Amino acid sequence: MPVTALYPEYKYPSRSRQELYGDDILVHVGLRGNRLFAAPSTHRVPPAMTFAAFLTDIVTPWVSSDPELDPQGLRGWTLDGSAITPEDTATLADLGVGHKSLLTFEA
Amino acid sequence: MARKLSMKQRYAALTRDLDWTPSYVDEEKLFPYTRFEGIKVNDWAAWEDPFRLTVDSYYKYQAEKDKRLYAVIDSFAQGQGHLSLSDASYINAMKLFIQGVTPIEYAANRHFSFLARHYNGPGPRFAALCQSVDELRHTQTEAHTLSAYNKYYGGFHSWPKQFDRVWYLSVPKSFIEDAMASGPFEYLIAVSFSFEYLLTNLLFVPFMSGASFNGDVPTMTFGFSAQSDESRHMTLGLEAIKFLLEQDEANVPIIQKWIDKWFWRGYRLVSLIAAMLDYMLPKKVMSWKESFELYFEEQMLEGLFKDLEFYGIRPPADVAVAIAEKEHYSHQAYWTLYQYSYAAGFTTTIPDAEHLDWLSAQYPDTFDKYYRPLWEKAAKIEADGGRFFNTGLPQLCQVCQLPMLFTEVDDPEVVAVRDTVFEGERYHFCSDGCARIFADEPEKYVQAWLPVHQILQGSCGGPTLPEVLAWYGFQDGDSGEYVGSADQIDWQQWHSDEPVRS
Repeated sequence: MPVTALYPEYKYPSRSRQELYGDDILVHVGLRGNRLFAAPSTHRVPPAMTFAAFLTDIVTPWVSSDPELDPQGLRGWTLDGSAITPEDTATLADLGVGHKSLLTFEA
Repeated sequence: MARKLSMKQRYAALTRDLDWTPSYVDEEKLFPYTRFEGIKVNDWAAWEDPFRLTVDSYYKYQAEKDKRLYAVIDSFAQGQGHLSLSDASYINAMKLFIQGVTPIEYAANRHFSFLARHYNGPGPRFAALCQSVDELRHTQTEAHTLSAYNKYYGGFHSWPKQFDRVWYLSVPKSFIEDAMASGPFEYLIAVSFSFEYLLTNLLFVPFMSGASFNGDVPTMTFGFSAQSDESRHMTLGLEAIKFLLEQDEANVPIIQKWIDKWFWRGYRLVSLIAAMLDYMLPKKVMSWKESFELYFEEQMLEGLFKDLEFYGIRPPADVAVAIAEKEHYSHQAYWTLYQYSYAAGFTTTIPDAEHLDWLSAQYPDTFDKYYRPLWEKAAKIEADGGRFFNTGLPQLCQVCQLPMLFTEVDDPEVVAVRDTVFEGERYHFCSDGCARIFADEPEKYVQAWLPVHQILQGSCGGPTLPEVLAWYGFQDGDSGEYVGSADQIDWQQWHSDEPVRS
């Protein structure tokens, strides 16, 4: 449905569009089956980052505030709702992670 | 000899008789905003004013109420009344109120004064004028009432700035700005009907009863002082919706869409009140669940919506989701505030044993199963010398701007996520309700100023957390854990030095 507006051609850009982040993108990361973390979290990352670096630099520091969680045992990855099996050496771009994609996992 | 006019005649003279038919300007040019929403008004004169209040009687009446309120504020201040609150942690509820609710009142003042110029009919124009003045009075009296606490407690000093900047305050801010950026009729449904009628008791009663139960006499007095205005606003909301529905049948589906939208937006906003009611009041009033059942399910679904059936209006879409969520709403919202309170203008803490038992009793089907274990885990982290804070910035819903904290109705352990791709960009929502609002007007919601995305863009003072918190205007003692906070330490000290009272 088009917006109900006072004038035609009501058109403004997204305030979160990718170009506002330079060469980076936003990625949402959610931990399934653990309600300690109330919501997924949002991170700004370069799409050329490898999945291994993403785990070490972004995901592990975030989930480490749960003392009972083993950051080595993250599994069951999904990307925007579909299951994926990410290789450590693949970049986020290789995996198809786009601006504001949601990655989820279990621990 | 001049004849003395009756009240009714004076009212007509001061409102309707000041209207005129434009002779040299098109009515469409004079009132440019009342057509684009598709609402048809065939007869503006059919607007029945629910209150025949003239400006002079209005001011006289409000001045009386102000006099009483300011006398209470003065005597509370002179008698060091803040020391007889139930506990310093109670003040957190009032911080949330002044940060999140008072700026809505001010925004409503601004927009009702705009509408007092822009409706074609003198009846709704005058009603908007009165409400505009009410909203300004509420802003002032709330600021004056709560400024008494600013001397002694953190979190009260920069609320207008924080309303524009801080992540959880973007929830009320985006609510009222969405309404203000709508047309004049949608605004009426958003504010006068949904906010002031459907949800008003869920919004105000918890704060005002909370004040009364916890020894906050000035806030309670403010509540009484605002109550007669609020009942006038409720009547206006009801008059507005009946007027629009009676004017033209073509209005019905438009109004229904707005009821669906603004019920949901308002309901998501009051998740913050749900958290306050169940977790921030040292002396409890009632649970969120009980409050929702009484003020929404009984009064609105069983009462109001039965009356509106006549016009072809049904209860809001997604009302079943809200009913199912009542067992979880406050717990999920406060759990979120607890873990992000390092970036909030109030403090949070783990409920004590008595409080946990109260929650178990209020929520026998859900609390022990889903939420007590989380508090036990937080307590364990604390016992080991830590304090659980979520260091990731939360993913936010594109529409209500709350963190994506709500779970699926049929599985309280799975976070509800909806997404869509619009013009090549992905957007996320916390619920079907928010997703539907976006789908209806995506061009509007792509412009949302989402606090987390703005922080990561570098628009909020700098890339590091201390820079963002400084940009928010937080000072030492405003945020974080309540136990050991400046408020708690001061409170204990004031009470240990207390001379014996007779």
